[in-house]
Amino acid sequence: MSDSTITEKSLSRWGEVRRKLRRNRPAVAGLWLIALYLATALYGEAAYWWHRCRDTTPPYQRINMDQRYLPPSFCRAPFAAGPAADAGRPGPVRRLLSGLRELTVHPLGTDNLGRDVLRRLVQGARIGFQVGIVTSMIALPLGLLLGCLAGYFGGKLDDFIVWLYTTFACMPGLLFILAIAMLVGKGLLGIYLGIGLTMWVNLCRLIRAEVLKHKSRPYVRAAQALGYSPLRIIFRHILPNVLHIVIIVFSLRFPAAIGTEIFVSFLGIGVQGEPSWGLMISNARLRLWQGVWWELTFVTLAIFLVVLAFNVVGDALRDALDPRLRTE
Amino acid sequence: MRHYIVRRVLQMIPTLIGVILLTFVLFNVVGGSPGAVAHGQKASALEIEEFDEERGYNKPLLFGWWTRTRAFDDSRFAENAGAWRDIAGVSYHRPEGRMPGRLTVTGDAVCAVPLAFPLRARESYRFTLRYRLAEPGRAVLALHGPGQTEHRAELAASARWRTARIRFEVPEKPATLRPELAVTNGTLEIREIRLRRRMAHPFDSQFFFFLGRLARLDFGTSHVTNQKVSTMLKEGAGPSLMLTVPILFGGLAGSVSLALVCAWFRNRLLDRLLVLLSVVLMSVNYIVWIIAGQYVLAYKLDWFPVWGFESWRFLVLPIGIWIVSSLGRDLRFYRTIMLEELHKDYVRTAKAKGVGPAGILFRHVLRNAMIPVITNVSMAVPFLFTGSLLLESFFGIPGLGRVGIEGLTWSDFDVVRAVVLIGAVLYLVANLVTDLCYALVDPRVRLQ
Repeated sequence: MSDSTITEKSLSRWGEVRRKLRRNRPAVAGLWLIALYLATALYGEAAYWWHRCRDTTPPYQRINMDQRYLPPSFCRAPFAAGPAADAGRPGPVRRLLSGLRELTVHPLGTDNLGRDVLRRLVQGARIGFQVGIVTSMIALPLGLLLGCLAGYFGGKLDDFIVWLYTTFACMPGLLFILAIAMLVGKGLLGIYLGIGLTMWVNLCRLIRAEVLKHKSRPYVRAAQALGYSPLRIIFRHILPNVLHIVIIVFSLRFPAAIGTEIFVSFLGIGVQGEPSWGLMISNARLRLWQGVWWELTFVTLAIFLVVLAFNVVGDALRDALDPRLRTE
Repeated sequence: MRHYIVRRVLQMIPTLIGVILLTFVLFNVVGGSPGAVAHGQKASALEIEEFDEERGYNKPLLFGWWTRTRAFDDSRFAENAGAWRDIAGVSYHRPEGRMPGRLTVTGDAVCAVPLAFPLRARESYRFTLRYRLAEPGRAVLALHGPGQTEHRAELAASARWRTARIRFEVPEKPATLRPELAVTNGTLEIREIRLRRRMAHPFDSQFFFFLGRLARLDFGTSHVTNQKVSTMLKEGAGPSLMLTVPILFGGLAGSVSLALVCAWFRNRLLDRLLVLLSVVLMSVNYIVWIIAGQYVLAYKLDWFPVWGFESWRFLVLPIGIWIVSSLGRDLRFYRTIMLEELHKDYVRTAKAKGVGPAGILFRHVLRNAMIPVITNVSMAVPFLFTGSLLLESFFGIPGLGRVGIEGLTWSDFDVVRAVVLIGAVLYLVANLVTDLCYALVDPRVRLQ
């Protein structure tokens, strides 16, 4: 972003970022992949509410003991070829229709209760994204607000906020989240709170450091000289200049939140009764030893792809926005 | 230097207090009622009371004279009659419109107050009633002992809702004490009844109980194994360290040397391949590493034992899995550090002096990169401690991680709290040691 390269068209900061991102092919692919996952998650959400409002058992929960452990296939399920004693001789159209009705396609196989793995994976994406989004909604505003206040006002408030996040940073990460999940009670709320209450720390620290830097810049001094209120200076003037940190932290923390949800659910103190990726791994693990490989493989693949996409995009964003930011 | 150490240790104190406060808030305020969780749905009130008594949960939270007792649950009558549903002589009314849910006792009736278990001998209790009694009414709350009435309190008639507090002492033999509500005239309507026990002094609270136990380094008793938590922790520390120390050093050696390779071949094929590999490694879920490693290497190929803790052979696979699963993240981090160092002025100077690439990399860059490397390692010390959670339970290593996981699955509050606290304190100590190391290496730090 050096001034000497202003050619025919000067780009705004975000325009520059967009240009850099567009050049980065893996990042573009990652973004598309994330969009695909997001669409899947939205579809899963729609399916969930559809069945909930009509009070029907959704297909991803439907237990079918005849179809347990079906390997991935696109063909007719073996049981469908069994005795289909139909009265009389139906015409070809009806035969085709009933055949279609019995045609059960499980491209990724079924699990121990005959539930379709693909449908459960879609629901897992829904829960993963839900966790990522809700925890970000808790942690990002919290970290941003506290970081801005601490950095701008300094003094006692700064001491207090620094003390607060140092305390939280001391807590042993995963175990702390697990303890919160255990104490709040099984279910999504515990996961939201556990991850949300630990995720703000890193952001708060980065934002505070950045605001401290901006505080002595001329534009802030000018705003102060004009007599603007501190809140206006923070939110109208400084905030747009530190917002890129939020984006970087979000892109790095989102996959971490998904991973943590998997971990918590895997241990059985997270999501209950819904097909989360963690629960699927925990179910599939036991049956791997009996040679049922597809459930574990496809869950792993689903998680791997989305986390990979986020990692690639997060890196690209960091390179484009603030290459010197150390986010560990 | 001594000055610096003292200052640094003093700086640690507020954080330590913060950690203790946070743990307290988490386990005593958010945690609710661990007794009920530990004993399950069918637990009797007395069992829970005994559990709470042992662990101090039946005291006031911060400070106060009065505390709840499980002998009598607070009755608010918002939804149902609660413990009063089987008591003869009372009838329950649901809330209607602006009228709250209430219990009524009509003229010439005597009903027993339902206590789950006898009150404690020689202690002071207090009933708080919120009631209404139309004018000519008469009602009495009496405590009957064997053969005599211990305490009688008249409820003053009032057309409006009013609150009465009735304090009484429990006699020597509490098992025979029967609190009774007797109405001789009119209709007594009750909105709320509470029973509180009086503490010996207002600082006999959960918070000070918790602090006192911490000061004695007493972490309580596990309700699952009935062992002292401190013993469990002591026994778990050995196996955990046997697992994590090789992980720490092996991981460090592996990732730093690969990072040096990256720095050597920077922006060439090998470097790019390694970066790609590290992103891919990072994206595989940690749980999957464990499951797949155990299944393929131990079960299918039979190279390692699957489960147990008998000789060093049992540790090889978990150590390897951990190192591989954390390699991606560490390699990328150290590579960034190395490349940052490579752009500094002293590297240019060294180049100008005619130092060869190997000399620059190993003598200059590696040494200067050590500070961020040490920071990263010291931050990983408590992380290793908690991160071994899953590895240990998967491979049957009786370490702290397994203790923690079992505590979590059985809702064993005391164990989980102890492990969380120790993790936090370890982090603090690790931070302190790192800072002292800095000060030892770099005199400028001491002056800040």
